[in-house]
Amino acid sequence: MTGIIAMSSITYAMKAKRILNGAGFYCEVERTPKNLSSGCGYSIRVKGDIDKIIGILKNNGINYKDYITLAS
Amino acid sequence: MIYFDNAATTYPKPYSVAAAVSSAVTGLGGNPGRSGHAMSVRAAEQVFKVRSLCAKMFGAEPENVVFTQNCTHALNLAIKGIMSEPGHITISSMEHNSVSRPVFALKKRGVSFSVAEVSESDEQTVENFARLITPETRCVACTIASNVTGRILPYKQIAQLCRKHGICFIADGAQACGVIPLSMADGFNFLCTAGHKGLYGPTGTGLLISDGKYKLQSIIEGGTGTTSDELFQPDFLPERLESGTLNTVGIMGLGEGIKHVMRLGEQRIYKKETMLCELFIKRLENNPMIVIYRQKGCLYVPIVSFNCKGMPSSQLSQKLNDAGFALRGGLQCAALAHRQLQTSDGGTVRFSPSVFNSEREVIAICNAINRICANIKTVG
Repeated sequence: MTGIIAMSSITYAMKAKRILNGAGFYCEVERTPKNLSSGCGYSIRVKGDIDKIIGILKNNGINYKDYITLAS
Repeated sequence: MIYFDNAATTYPKPYSVAAAVSSAVTGLGGNPGRSGHAMSVRAAEQVFKVRSLCAKMFGAEPENVVFTQNCTHALNLAIKGIMSEPGHITISSMEHNSVSRPVFALKKRGVSFSVAEVSESDEQTVENFARLITPETRCVACTIASNVTGRILPYKQIAQLCRKHGICFIADGAQACGVIPLSMADGFNFLCTAGHKGLYGPTGTGLLISDGKYKLQSIIEGGTGTTSDELFQPDFLPERLESGTLNTVGIMGLGEGIKHVMRLGEQRIYKKETMLCELFIKRLENNPMIVIYRQKGCLYVPIVSFNCKGMPSSQLSQKLNDAGFALRGGLQCAALAHRQLQTSDGGTVRFSPSVFNSEREVIAICNAINRICANIKTVG
């Protein structure tokens, strides 16, 4: 499953990428799509179990705003 | 020219710093955290790597590392951000103007301040701070080491005192970072430092590091690349305090400067530079014309302030410049410290070596100082 998680900042997006890569999840930083959050912002595009990924972010104190899962 | 003004800014910089700066100018063109294209994201990744390195060095989280222009900028963000409403703040008698001037300026906004004397004994110094705490005291802001004499303040005990009273502790690490191993675990709520001194980065770099306990009011607002549809400043670090485009080039240089310090280790740097200071003192202390501003039993970072009797510090530093040595004379932007030393009239000359200086260079400057003193005697 692929998901896009809107982060509160580029710094948190980079931190999330580092942590998720370290946990073995593919992750890339990109601009947040309009349908996920208004205004400028950064997201991480991740592949894997989204609930597990969200859990990892929460455990590491990473602020995220919202997320969507894609059908791929 | 032999350079002994490293307390102002270190020179030379490690080759890796120059290489990183050059590489950033030519190859890191995107604006970090502003766009979605690959160049911008790549720049943001490189900035985050340096942020993480700073966090590792000082025991912080990367998001709590704020890049600033210099230590003065960091101190202004911290002091004015904490004291955004009336209250009381205490500083030490050895402060640089980067602490004393923001505090003095806050008087207009109803902030009162006290100055705790730095005594010969650390216990007495801590007691001096303790005596000045009132129910209105919200913050202690003080230097870890004086930029004039190098005197190290009992910062861990001051941190304990602040913690005990629930007061925010802002530390000025401009002269300490890179020569003393420091960590947020030492009790700092905010650690401010220059990137271009003991961390060997380029000028135009500085750091404000938070332990995450206190939220600062912003004193500069603007574009942060996030939540752009809202008119209020983000409430999270580092973006809250990093409005406007970052100094990517300087930050890349700073990253290499920090790696240089980490490779050598602060203790090794401290040992080498302290050895050079001790050699400097040994070669001059028997000259009756020389006054050295150090007290026995006190701890110092590698800085020595001195004067030659009968000659203003500005004249002595000019004569040393003419002889090929770069040192800073005058008040070193530290009005309070010179009041305490009773040197406000003429200031002092400051000798501050870096890890790149040699014993041979120290002997050469001592010979030059002794020659200048001998000439005063002859002329006198």
